[in-house]
Amino acid sequence: MTFTEINSKMIQATVIPGQRLYSQRGAMLAYKGDVSFTPNIQGGQGGVMSMLGRRVANEATPLMTVEGSGTVMFGHGGHHIQIIELTGDTLYVEADRLLAFEGTLQQGTMFMGSQGGVMGMVRGQVTGQGLFTTTLQGRGAVAVMAHGGVFEVPITPGRPVHVDPQAYVAHHGDVRNKLSTALGWRDMVGRGSGEAFQLELSGSGAVYVQASEEKL
Amino acid sequence: MFRLQGSKVLAVDMTGDAVKAKNGSMVAYDGQMAFKKMSGGGEGIRGMVTRRLTGEQMTVMEVRGQGTCWFADRASEINLVNLQGDKLYVESSNLLATDAGLRTGTTFTGLRGASQGNGLFTTTVEGHGQAAIMSDGPAVVLRVSRQYPLTVDPGAYIAHQGNLHQSFQSGVTFRTFFGEGGGEAFQIRFEGDGLVYVQPSERNTIAGDV
Amino acid sequence: MSQYAGSGPTIFDPMTLPVDDNVNKYTFCVELKGSQWFLQKGKMIAYYGSMEFNGIGHGRLDRLVRTSFHSPLHASDWVVADGSGKMLLADRAFDVNAYDLEDANMTIRSGNLLAFQPSLALKQSIVPGFLTLIGTGKIVAASSGPVVFMEPPIRVDPQALVGWADCPSPCHHYDHAYMTGLMGGLRAMTGIGGASGEEHQFEFVGAGTVLLQSSENLMPEQATGVVPHEPGVPGGGGVPTGPSQQAGAPRLPGQLGDLQRRFGL
Repeated sequence: MTFTEINSKMIQATVIPGQRLYSQRGAMLAYKGDVSFTPNIQGGQGGVMSMLGRRVANEATPLMTVEGSGTVMFGHGGHHIQIIELTGDTLYVEADRLLAFEGTLQQGTMFMGSQGGVMGMVRGQVTGQGLFTTTLQGRGAVAVMAHGGVFEVPITPGRPVHVDPQAYVAHHGDVRNKLSTALGWRDMVGRGSGEAFQLELSGSGAVYVQASEEKL
Repeated sequence: MFRLQGSKVLAVDMTGDAVKAKNGSMVAYDGQMAFKKMSGGGEGIRGMVTRRLTGEQMTVMEVRGQGTCWFADRASEINLVNLQGDKLYVESSNLLATDAGLRTGTTFTGLRGASQGNGLFTTTVEGHGQAAIMSDGPAVVLRVSRQYPLTVDPGAYIAHQGNLHQSFQSGVTFRTFFGEGGGEAFQIRFEGDGLVYVQPSERNTIAGDV
Repeated sequence: MSQYAGSGPTIFDPMTLPVDDNVNKYTFCVELKGSQWFLQKGKMIAYYGSMEFNGIGHGRLDRLVRTSFHSPLHASDWVVADGSGKMLLADRAFDVNAYDLEDANMTIRSGNLLAFQPSLALKQSIVPGFLTLIGTGKIVAASSGPVVFMEPPIRVDPQALVGWADCPSPCHHYDHAYMTGLMGGLRAMTGIGGASGEEHQFEFVGAGTVLLQSSENLMPEQATGVVPHEPGVPGGGGVPTGPSQQAGAPRLPGQLGDLQRRFGL
């Protein structure tokens, strides 16, 4: 495992020549050895298309490439960090929650609107997170941040899980998502927008929910 | 029925019964749930006035259904309190959820710490059941007994239960504390027999954040 | 009716509260037995017993100030706690920890220092924004996220630095390796691709310990006092000296600052 947890808010990564890591810019707290941090114009293996995708998506989370030989400590804003190991499947995660991930993972963006038509577009409006989600696929570790930490809720066929869109962090598995309004929820006037809708996830997998309805 | 998942998330397993929770605090649920907005503060004219004065903070919702419901509020730490017929006094903005069977009310505690806008209202919870209270950082529970009265910074106070008498003291030179966020020139002194919950922070305003 | 901490949260009373130790990660308990502690104003959350909190410079404890404070402070930021009993300290739910110094020294960012025993002498560090404590005694410090101890050689993001002990004060390290070459030139000229945010760190060498916090959240600075306006005193002399004035200032992505000047762009 390339990432080890030093404490709930800081992880340590060992960087070996030939293996890259990607992380959010500015997330490095300290390092030892000979490591370089290069800002990504492209941000990963996505190539030009991915960059375009990001432009359209207005993804505001710039990445940097970390390579060399040494140890790097990552953390950001004092947020809790969760390390998720992917073994071939795909993780869907909000771009601004991504702290760092191994270069062995295939990065892409997915238009969440495609799953649910009009409601999908509304989701973007409602959560303010944009219509795109970052996808990571393959074998490797991902470090995800959330306000207050995350907890995992399993999604099983026939038992969909409803999540406050602002508390949604990531999900993996064969999962469909759609926005819906719950009876009675509509007249809940919450602190911010998003309370009138809920994100319904169904299928088979798990969703990571953060212990807060606040965006990072 | 109430259980903690980690220290910042409250999980409530329901089988057709209900729970009252702070509006907007639900982060996820599975199964079937129905939500009803309730107005806090009480009935009638007094209730209406209370709601006006406290604003959004007092809005409570009732959640009823089958399945599990998860509640959290800005990653605050959650503490469970078991009530066995006694009465819990808690800062209104620090109450996350209560068993629907518990009786809640409001008392106006006066201008304690009014410079920061907090401490105007306290929610009372009584009966048999569980309540979940929140704090900025894990709360420390301090026992007050006849030989050991306790003095507390108003911004750190969250809740208390038992036979306690509160008084305000300003044993500090006013000049000393002036300046930190408006200044807490007073301290609350608790005497009697009971428990006081304090948080490791002086953040306790109706607005929620410093 | 299960609660996560066994049968319920621990209930403390004056007998069971720890002496000069953490109650939990965010709360520290100090015992006074007719003795004093210096603490930052507003950080006391509760106490048993009888205590007085007086501002520094407000009379009685002048002699204490003379022996322990060697920095023209803004008196209203610190108080002296005097009395008998047990007092709980906390700071906005930040992690708090105590450090024991035994005839030693520790330099800590002013915003992170919460309380210390008067047996220690407090002085201003040459590095702006930092305070040095010397002698024997306990310090209580707050940090955004738990403190991690590391040993030099190490390079640290300025905002993640809490302090250091025993090793020499850090120097600035600028990483402009990525500015070289074609891509580097492009970046420098056009600003496309921005900056990684990691162009500048504090570099530590030598024998000692470096204290890091798990975040780049800076605790708001406490006044450390005015640097005398004398030639030869960094930060106090006439003409401001280039990059050293910006120690610790967060660098925005895309802003090349003094690197631009360095390359004559």
